Amino acid sequence: MKKAVKNTFYAVLPALSIVVILIGWVLLSMKEGSLIPSPAETWSRFVFVMTNPIANATLPVHILVSLRRVLIAMVLAVVVGITLGVLFGWSPVFRGLVMPAFELVRPIPPIAWLPLIIIWCGIGELAKIVIVFIGAFTGIVINTHAGMKSIDPELIKAGRSLGATKAQLLSHVAMPAAFPAILAGVKTSLSAGWMCVLAAEMIAAKQGVGFLIIKGQEIGDMALIVVCMFAIGIVSMIISVSLTKLEGVLCPWQFKT
Amino acid sequence: MAVQNVKIRLRNITKSFYAKGKNTPVLGDISLDVYENEFLVLLGPGQCGKTVILNIIAGLEEQSSGTIEFSGGRPKMGELGVVFQKYALFPWKTVMGNVEMGPQLKHVKKEVRREKAQSYIDLVGLTGFERALPKQLSGGMKQRVGIARAYSSESDIMLMDEPFGALDAQTRYSMEEEILKIWEKKKRTVIFVTNNLEEAIYLGDRIILLGDTPTVVRKEYVPDIPRPRNYTDPAFLALRNEIAENTDLVL
Repeated sequence: MKKAVKNTFYAVLPALSIVVILIGWVLLSMKEGSLIPSPAETWSRFVFVMTNPIANATLPVHILVSLRRVLIAMVLAVVVGITLGVLFGWSPVFRGLVMPAFELVRPIPPIAWLPLIIIWCGIGELAKIVIVFIGAFTGIVINTHAGMKSIDPELIKAGRSLGATKAQLLSHVAMPAAFPAILAGVKTSLSAGWMCVLAAEMIAAKQGVGFLIIKGQEIGDMALIVVCMFAIGIVSMIISVSLTKLEGVLCPWQFKT
Repeated sequence: MAVQNVKIRLRNITKSFYAKGKNTPVLGDISLDVYENEFLVLLGPGQCGKTVILNIIAGLEEQSSGTIEFSGGRPKMGELGVVFQKYALFPWKTVMGNVEMGPQLKHVKKEVRREKAQSYIDLVGLTGFERALPKQLSGGMKQRVGIARAYSSESDIMLMDEPFGALDAQTRYSMEEEILKIWEKKKRTVIFVTNNLEEAIYLGDRIILLGDTPTVVRKEYVPDIPRPRNYTDPAFLALRNEIAENTDLVL
């Protein structure tokens, strides 16, 4: 009986936190109506932008435009990032040659590259993809390298004792052993990429969620800004949950007991 | 006594490790013969270089000096069965995947390697667990997979590096029985490394006692006790006491 009450209590807690946030939101919007839109106002704006275009596109289309940019950049970041990370972990010569340059570039925030990228690539799609790529690939390199470094030496020894060639050791032992770390890097980098695309769209874009937020600011449409912020949060959450599920499918040995 | 064929001959093997500007000798002049299909136990205290000897035989490490000869020539990597203390199973592969890994690396056809792997899984008593991941198995079962994987190399030499060192006492006893049953069914030349005196007497046809720094062969024992051996047998206990007098092993 006591356990049932405890379980119900913990099940109700998340709902309680949402109710508290909503009450706070309503109170604030009643006090500062011109600066903070009410939940009702935000909902009606949400319903409107879901079906009516702003800058030639509805909210779902703006989201898809942003996601498309992230996806293209992520594919490139995954290919380049994993390759670099694996080489850092596998080849001391490559690590010695390239690591210093990477360490020099790594701490520079992606947004700091923006002026240079705009000069080099213009304000079109390429600039945004490059910014997302820069924001995403460093995390993948770091995680892949960390995964390669933490491979249990006994596994390498076991692979060698089974007659694996150097290439087979890499493909059949090292890469699968480092895979959970690589996937964790991709997961973190996807969130970083999503943040970068929004920042890039806020500076120069004609479509996308970042652009829509700036549009809301320009026309003083607070409800639109809040709708976009929620959309960003929900998309991030969906991405994160999907990747966690994918992790369970791709790395079952990490979870099954 | 029947004439035994020498399977592996080690002569004057030494090994030193270089670290922090210092050369540290680990093995000092090890010479021994390993006979065909015998169960040889290398017994010695921890960190005495037993694993180094095994690694040198397996080709995973190079000796500093000395020679090793194999009857029929030096096997290539993958042609010796190796069982590791901490299992060293590939966590992303199932039991079947682990056992068939060696033949897979040698590009053996899937049906052929599956059939062979299944026969070794059956041999170690893991029928029905083919699709289980190592994480889902107990310590004893994991080591059975390790043994099946080593057998799947189809080698006639098995190198076992303290394979039961990570197991609890109860599982260890049952695995000792099990390994002898497997070895009786499929005879191989086994070199078994341990720091456990009772285990050495229970398993070995011959026991090579290692010790000193750098490590040398202190003495050789041939337990004249019929199998299955009993830990409380007077002959067992007498040999145990005899070896104990010559070793620093904690009993």
